[in-house]
Amino acid sequence: MNFTFQIASYNTFIIYFGHAIDPMVSKEVQKAYRALKNAMVQGILEIIPSYASLMVSYDVLKHDYEPLRARVESIILGAKPIDEKAKKIITIPTYYHPEVGLDLEAVAEEKNVTIEEIIALHVKQKYNVYAVGFAPGFAYLGELDLALASPRLANPRKAIPKGSVSIADRQTAVYPTQSPGGWKILGRTPIAMFDTAYEGLSLLHVGDLVQFEAISKAEFLKLGGVL
Amino acid sequence: MNGLMILNGGLQSSIQDAGRVGVSDIGLTQSGAMDELAFGYVQMLLGNAFNTSTIEIALGGLSFKAQGRVCIALGGADMGCTLNGQAISMWTTYNLMDGDILSFGFASAGHFAYVGVVGGFQTPKLYGSYSTSMKEGLGGIEGRKLSAGDFLACAPSQLKEKRYLKQEFVPNYGEEVNLRLVLGYQEALFDEAQKEAFFNTVYTYKGEGDRMGYRLSGEKIVPKVNGILSEPICYGAVQIPTHGEPIVLLKEHQTIGGYPKIGSVLSMDCFKLSQIKPGGRVRFKVISQNEAQAIAQAFYHFFRF
Repeated sequence: MNFTFQIASYNTFIIYFGHAIDPMVSKEVQKAYRALKNAMVQGILEIIPSYASLMVSYDVLKHDYEPLRARVESIILGAKPIDEKAKKIITIPTYYHPEVGLDLEAVAEEKNVTIEEIIALHVKQKYNVYAVGFAPGFAYLGELDLALASPRLANPRKAIPKGSVSIADRQTAVYPTQSPGGWKILGRTPIAMFDTAYEGLSLLHVGDLVQFEAISKAEFLKLGGVL
Repeated sequence: MNGLMILNGGLQSSIQDAGRVGVSDIGLTQSGAMDELAFGYVQMLLGNAFNTSTIEIALGGLSFKAQGRVCIALGGADMGCTLNGQAISMWTTYNLMDGDILSFGFASAGHFAYVGVVGGFQTPKLYGSYSTSMKEGLGGIEGRKLSAGDFLACAPSQLKEKRYLKQEFVPNYGEEVNLRLVLGYQEALFDEAQKEAFFNTVYTYKGEGDRMGYRLSGEKIVPKVNGILSEPICYGAVQIPTHGEPIVLLKEHQTIGGYPKIGSVLSMDCFKLSQIKPGGRVRFKVISQNEAQAIAQAFYHFFRF
């Protein structure tokens, strides 16, 4: 696959692998991200992946743009393909119910289906982690079934509760902490998305696969969930 | 215990070092000192390594009492600092004795000041940095601004000679700042007329800003597209949201975003921008990546040897 380098600032460049949310493009980003992380080049400060791009910033006392660009290019060209079967699958237990899924009824109504059908659509597939950002541990997951795709709220909420399992267009995500936001909420998970006890701090990383699992209220509470 | 007892936290004082590195890929902001120039001089006066923790004071109002003997250095905006009620000057070191009280008023020019101690403060280190991220509630003292009753421990220290920053190095915090910008990124999303307008406008900073970024008011620039696929963002990026007014992203910028960017302001000019007061005027001018890199290399050579 082709990729292009663009200068972003005096010590940062961005590599584009495409310009759309596309599992094939994401795969190339993941491949390059992993290869660059593993190469552990001294003086590279940040390697940030997103849907179709990867940003690299570096210490200007250790690198000049052109030689580093060439080195990064050769690392990416030599990157090994991602073994899809070896991908980490993370299950996120979720209590789907209007008492925590504040938009569950509205989304069901919008789609003219039952709440059970909405839940079934959300749990049936594995999602790719396309990017982690916005807030620590906030993972952008895709792609949502078209039948479930729903736009953001016209008026974003001032406080979305921690652990809210939400959707926006063809993406889904879990809010790691209480924060403002416009995604529609289907349910809540009792597990932490961001914790200093986690290796790598975030539960989810770009390249992981995620599956939601419907749990009962009793299980939610047993796992430490807060209503 | 040796250290500083906070008597009044002021408007927003926090523990900051050079920032958090290598965790942007899980969404943590870099944070760190908003003005690395003033921060760097403070470290230099104390003989500290560049990346040492300090107190960053925004606007003013901080006061503290020394416990034991603590050598401090002050740099940044002049906030009418007093030592036991006597006016003292910035950009120099002071050997504080047990019970000495330092108080800051409010800045008339500039926005941020730094208080450093020899060896830095012994606050908890989180993911490789002492910096507080206000937005995330992480780092520093419980992820928050300093408040009365906080105790910042540090090693006992006294410097034999008082050290000053030479007058010729003392920054002048004016009402105008020129920001040198490396074009790039989504430059192509802006047409020639928009770019011309952007570079010919004198923008005003109306105080709509915080550690995340400063919004500038003036000529509205409307890019050809409304938004872009969310992508990583760097320090200094000039984002043009739908309202058309540029936002320069600073130390607590989000790591990923979907607004078009015209380019990125050279970090050393972001430091100057951080110090501007509401009502300050801002202009952009283009600089090549090569020139920008050379300026940054000279800056960090100076402070990191």
